Amino acid sequence: MFLLYTSIAGGGTPSVKPSELAAQEGPVSLVGQVVGRPTGDANAEGLRFRLHDVKDPSSPTVLVVYKGSVPDLFASGRDLVVEGELRNGTFVATPGTMVTKCPSKYTAIKPSDQ
Amino acid sequence: MTLAIALSAVLGAVCVVLVALPFLREPEPVSDELEEMTPHRQRRLALAEERDRALSALKELEADHRAGRINDEDYRASIGSLRREAASALRALDSDAGKV
Amino acid sequence: MADLGRAALLLTLGLCLYACIVGTVAAVTRKRRLAMSARNALIASFGSTLVATTILVAGFVRNDYSLVYVAETSSRSLGGIYKVSALWGGQEGSLLLWLLILTGYAALAVWLNRNRTRDLVVWVTPVLGGIAVFFSFLLVAVASPFVTQVAPLDGSGLNPSLQNPYMMSHPPFLYLGYVGLAVPFAFAMGALLSGRTDERWIVATRRWTLIAWTALGIGQLLGSHWAYLEVGWGGFYAWDPVENAALMPFLAATAFLHSVMIQEKRGMLKVWNMVLVSLAFCLSIFGTFLTRSGVVNSIHSFAQSSIGAWFLAFIVIAVVFSTVTIVWRLPLLRSTTKLESLISREAVFLYNNLLLVALCLTILWGVAWPILSEAVRGDSVVVGRPYFDFFLRIFGLPLLLLMGVGPLIAWRRASLRGLGATFFWPISIAIGTGVVLLILGAGSSIPGLIAYTFSAFVLAAIGLEFVRGTRARRALSSESWPVAFGSLVGRNRRRYGGYIVHVAIVLFAIGVAGASAYDSVVEGRLAKGEALTVSGYTVRYVGLSERQTDHATEVRAKLAVSKDGKNLGGLEAGKNSYKIAGLEPQVSSEVGVRTDYLTGEDLFVIPETIYDDGSMYFRIFVKPLVNLLWLSGLVFLLGSIIALWPDARVQRRLAVRYEEASSPVRGR
Repeated sequence: MFLLYTSIAGGGTPSVKPSELAAQEGPVSLVGQVVGRPTGDANAEGLRFRLHDVKDPSSPTVLVVYKGSVPDLFASGRDLVVEGELRNGTFVATPGTMVTKCPSKYTAIKPSDQ
Repeated sequence: MTLAIALSAVLGAVCVVLVALPFLREPEPVSDELEEMTPHRQRRLALAEERDRALSALKELEADHRAGRINDEDYRASIGSLRREAASALRALDSDAGKV
Repeated sequence: MADLGRAALLLTLGLCLYACIVGTVAAVTRKRRLAMSARNALIASFGSTLVATTILVAGFVRNDYSLVYVAETSSRSLGGIYKVSALWGGQEGSLLLWLLILTGYAALAVWLNRNRTRDLVVWVTPVLGGIAVFFSFLLVAVASPFVTQVAPLDGSGLNPSLQNPYMMSHPPFLYLGYVGLAVPFAFAMGALLSGRTDERWIVATRRWTLIAWTALGIGQLLGSHWAYLEVGWGGFYAWDPVENAALMPFLAATAFLHSVMIQEKRGMLKVWNMVLVSLAFCLSIFGTFLTRSGVVNSIHSFAQSSIGAWFLAFIVIAVVFSTVTIVWRLPLLRSTTKLESLISREAVFLYNNLLLVALCLTILWGVAWPILSEAVRGDSVVVGRPYFDFFLRIFGLPLLLLMGVGPLIAWRRASLRGLGATFFWPISIAIGTGVVLLILGAGSSIPGLIAYTFSAFVLAAIGLEFVRGTRARRALSSESWPVAFGSLVGRNRRRYGGYIVHVAIVLFAIGVAGASAYDSVVEGRLAKGEALTVSGYTVRYVGLSERQTDHATEVRAKLAVSKDGKNLGGLEAGKNSYKIAGLEPQVSSEVGVRTDYLTGEDLFVIPETIYDDGSMYFRIFVKPLVNLLWLSGLVFLLGSIIALWPDARVQRRLAVRYEEASSPVRGR
C-alpha cells in the first residue's frame, strides 16, 4: 500500500526560475517576479508580461503569455507562480494556473483560480 | 516606565508565591511521598477494567440483539462466552480483594 | 508597556522551564510538594501569558504604533473588532495566541486532574511545560511581539481580504484544535513515563480530544468558507500545503478518536494508539511550521524565515521523544485480546483507521516531497492537485462506505447471514438512489455518482440505526416515539452523537461531490445589456456603479438574474480598490453569490476584468449543493456537542472503577 503512492509521488512538476527555463523541457512550474508593464487581456488574446528571477533582478527576463483568471494581487513587482511550457522562446502558460504571493503578511491569500 | 517595572515586580512576586506555595503551606509535612501506583493497584485497576469491559460487552450484546443488529443465532453463540468472561472477571476482582 | 510585555513573556518562559525541569525531578524522585510546585508554575504561566496578551491587545486598541507588530498589522481606519483580531494577523501575535491557548489548556488540564491520577499528572506537567518552553522561547528570543520603534503616524493595516468574520474566527478555532492535541499527547506520554498500563489516560483525555478535533474541523470549514467567498475562484479547497497542514492532524485525530474506542472496549491497539496520538500532535506542530516558515512553495510566503529552523528542531525532538518513550515502554503495551473476526465492528474501525492514516500519510508525502526533493536533489518540484484528488477518491470513497457499514455491525464478530438481513434496506435504498441519479444525468461524473450512492447508503444505515434503537427502547419502556428517541440518544450520547457527526460528514461529501463534480461554468465579455446563460440561469449585465468609502473605491456591476423566465432578483459583483498609505492601491475582487436555499446551489459570479468601455468579463459558475458544506458544519457541531455532553451515569461508573482500584474492598 505504501509502495503504491511512493512510486506515484515520484513525479511532481519541476519548479524553475526564468533563468533556468531554457534548459528545461516539458511542462514546468515557473516562479518569478513581474517586471515592466503587462499588456494584453487575459480574457481575450492573452496577458503578456515578463518575469525575472525573484531574488536576482539582473537575470534575463522571459516573456509569458497567460490566459485565464488573473489573481487580484497581480501587479508589476509581485512574485508569482504559473504553470506552462516554453515554446519558441515564449512561455505559454496553462490557463488558470497563476498564483500570486502575499507580499508581506504570513497569512494566506489563496489562488484566484484552480 | 516605572509603572511597568512595578507591575512586573508584582507579577513576578505573585508567580514566585504560587510556585513556592506547597512548601509554604506545609513546611513540615507528614509525608512528602507521591501516591504510588503500586503493582498491586495496577493489577486491581486492570482487573476492574476487564470487568467493566466484559459487563459492557454483555450489555452491548443485549442491546444489539434487541435492536436487531444480531440475529438470534449469533446472539446465542456469543452470549455464553461473554457471560463466562464477565463472571471470571468479577471472580478475579473479588479474589484479589482478599489479598492485600 | 512593551517592557512589561517582554517581562511577562520572560516570566512565562521561566515558569515553563521550572515546570518542565523541576516537574521531571519531582516525578523521578516522587516528591509530592515539588510536583505541586511544578504544577503551580504551569498554571502561573497562563497568568503571565495572559498579561502579555492583554498588553498587546491594549496596544491595538490604543493604536500604539510604537509596537512594530501593531504598526504592521493594524491601522487607524481598521474597524474595532478587527483591531482585536489583528492580534493573530501576523507571526508574532499568532504565536502569542498559540502560547496563550497552550498554557490555558495546560493549566486547566493539570488543575482539573489535580486530585485524581496524581502519578499521571506528575509526568503530564513536565511534558506540557516542555512544549510551552519551546513556544515561549520563540516569543522571547526569536519572534518577539514587543519590538518597539519610533511610532509612525499610522499602521500598514490589515490585509482587506482578512477583514471578514470568517477569517477572523478561523485562526482561533484552528489553534484551539491544534493546541488541544497536545493534552492527549501529554497524558499518553505521562502514562508511558509513569509506567501505567491502564486506560486512565484515555478516559481523562476523551473530552479534550473530542473538543480539539471539533475545533479543528470547524476552523477548517471556516477557512474554506472564507476562501470560497473572499478569494473567489469558485472553489473552497486548493490542496495548498497550508490547507493540508490542518487536514493532516485532523485525519490523524479522527483515526485516534476511533481506535481509542477499540482500546476501551477490547483492550487492543495500545501501541497503535500511542503512535497515533503522537502523530496527531507532531502533525499539528508540523502544520504550524508549514504555515509559518515559508519552506514550501505555497502562496503563503516566499521569504525564508529562520523560525522554520527552530520548528524543525522542535518537531525532531518531539518525534524522537515520543518514539523513544513508546519503544522503551513497549513491553507494557501488550494487548490483552486479539481481533476475533474480520467482519466485526473492530475490524471496520481498523479499516477506517488504515484508510485515514493512509490518506494522511499520502497528503504528508505530497507536501513533504517538494521539500525533500529540493534539499536532496537540488531541483524543486510542485505536487499538483491531481495527485491529491486521486488519493482522496481512492481512500475517501471507501471511508464513506465504511461509515455506513460500521454502525450496522456488532462488536466481536458478525455472521454473514445476520448481516444480509441488516444490510438489505440500506443497500436497496442506495442502489435505488444510484439508479435514479443515473437517469437524472449524474453519470457525467463516476466518482460523483459513487459518492452519492455511498452517501445514500450511509444515510440509510444511520437512519436504520436510529429507528431500530428507538424501537428497541420502546419495547422496554413503552414510551412514545419522540420520548424514546430522546432517551435513546440521551443514554448513548457518544454513539448517537457520533452518528450525527457521520451524517454531517456525509452531507459534506455530498456537497463536495455536487460542487466539484457537477458544476457548470460559462464565461464571456459582456457589454451593458448583454447576458450569459448557464444551467438554466440567465445573468444580464445591467449597469455599473461606483461608490466611495473611507477605505476604498467600490466598483460594482449590477446584474439581473432570471431562471426559466422568472426574475430572481439582482446581484452585484465587482472590484474594490483599497488605498494604502504610501503603496499602490490594492485591488480585490468581490464575487456575487446567489444562494438558492431550496436546492442548496449557488450561482457564483466572478468579475474578472473591467474594461475602459464599461464592458466586463465575467466567469459564472453554478455550483450544485455547495451549501450543504456549510450546513454540514452545523450538524457536525451538533453531533459533537451531543457526544461531549457529560453523562452522569458514565461518570459514576468510571468513578467507581477508579475508587475500587485505589482502595480495595476488604474481604467479603
